Amino acid sequence: MNARKICIAFDGSDNAQRAATYVGEVVGAAPGFSVTLLSIERQPDPDHFPDESAWLARIKDDQARLRAALDAAHAGLVAAGLAPDAVNELVLSGCRLAFAGARSCLPGKSVAEDLLRAAAGEGFGTIVIGRRGVSKAEEMLFGSVSTRIIRDAKGCAVWIVE
Amino acid sequence: MSQSARDLILAHLPGFPAIHAGRLYTDTSEFMAIDYGDVIAVGGRNYLVHKNESERRFGLEDPKYWVKKCQCLETGERNILKLVFHEQFPMAIGNFTVRCYRSPQKEARILRLVKGDMRFMQGETYPDERGNPVRVLEVVVGRSLDNEVEAVDLPHEAYFHEVFPGMLEKFLGTCEALSFLHENFEQHGDVRRDHIFVEYATGDWRWIDFDYSFEFHENPFGLDLFGLGNILLFLAGQGVHTMQSCGLTGSDLTATDCSALFPNRLVNLRRLFPYVPKKLNDILARFSGGAEVFYDSAAEFIADLADCRDRLPAQHKEHQP
Repeated sequence: MNARKICIAFDGSDNAQRAATYVGEVVGAAPGFSVTLLSIERQPDPDHFPDESAWLARIKDDQARLRAALDAAHAGLVAAGLAPDAVNELVLSGCRLAFAGARSCLPGKSVAEDLLRAAAGEGFGTIVIGRRGVSKAEEMLFGSVSTRIIRDAKGCAVWIVE
Repeated sequence: MSQSARDLILAHLPGFPAIHAGRLYTDTSEFMAIDYGDVIAVGGRNYLVHKNESERRFGLEDPKYWVKKCQCLETGERNILKLVFHEQFPMAIGNFTVRCYRSPQKEARILRLVKGDMRFMQGETYPDERGNPVRVLEVVVGRSLDNEVEAVDLPHEAYFHEVFPGMLEKFLGTCEALSFLHENFEQHGDVRRDHIFVEYATGDWRWIDFDYSFEFHENPFGLDLFGLGNILLFLAGQGVHTMQSCGLTGSDLTATDCSALFPNRLVNLRRLFPYVPKKLNDILARFSGGAEVFYDSAAEFIADLADCRDRLPAQHKEHQP
């Protein structure tokens, strides 16, 4: 396990930005660290759109928002002192299915599982995730990426930034 | 066009008052305009519209203009036609608000998936002239599960020992059916007791209405599972029991006594009915505000429930409504 090889679970949210800022503050000035902003693209459910063009338009908007958030986080990490070549991005797309006649790709897929699989594959020793803190009722209904990562992560450290 | 509808009705249903014959619709996009006496032509058949389906809430009729109660002119069979209505709206679940989507394509896909599986309503989807997927549904002749339970005129203890075991057996079957959907990456989307219909002829329990969808990324089946917990609570309690209906106050109760999402709803049934087995109560507690662990899957819920069923005394009596 290389603890200095850090990945930030990054979905573009304020929580993720906060996690990136925290990582910058902690390791920005320290030598030997690399930081990867790891995003799992969450495609919207095609069932929620009247046609393919509306679905594709929403995907494009989401991707543009994620791109802007990644750029900001990336710049923030470099500004915190990390060498430009020590900051990486890894964006893994969700399943890509044709709209017509396709069934949704979202049900049954877990962002936490995808993150952990990717983190293990890339050999990250530290996973950082921001969370806003959810109630038990919210966790029961909506699930929680951070709770699943804490529960299921193996062979690495997990930092939770609240 | 109106002549065509009249001709079709006269040819197939001469007893229908011709004065009420309306228009023939091959494009159902403007479903609000389609009403009594109109005919919808889809899938090579013609369906005479009798009325809009409606839900009854607070003594009022809430018409569902996109759901038409029809009669097939060629077969005489009663059918329900669900027309395309894309809507999204916020839905309150306890203190939370989630965005709900009505998806005709989702329902059409599930109808294909469950074709021939009588644990679910049955139907076919045909495109109208504009390509709208019109779902032609068979009518489930029966009554909803809440009406079935409310029709049992027994005090709770007798109900619990004589009727509930049989209901639990049926409920397990509906849970298995839901699990089948999840295994195929489909949500039901609207798991509630009035979306299980008990068929008069067979006594079989069947899921209806699959067109709701929610965007729950990390826990796509969480809402379905929560719905199962609510139905189990209703079945075991022979209804819903609230703090108010039980004469309890907040100081009498702990978080473990009440539902995680409806804090005035009692899930600890042993507070009211001490003969409820602890194992069953423990399952219900997984849906309480004090729960530390939750069901991750329908399969997990079914395993616990089956174990509970196996421990119930063997006085199962088939309920005769």
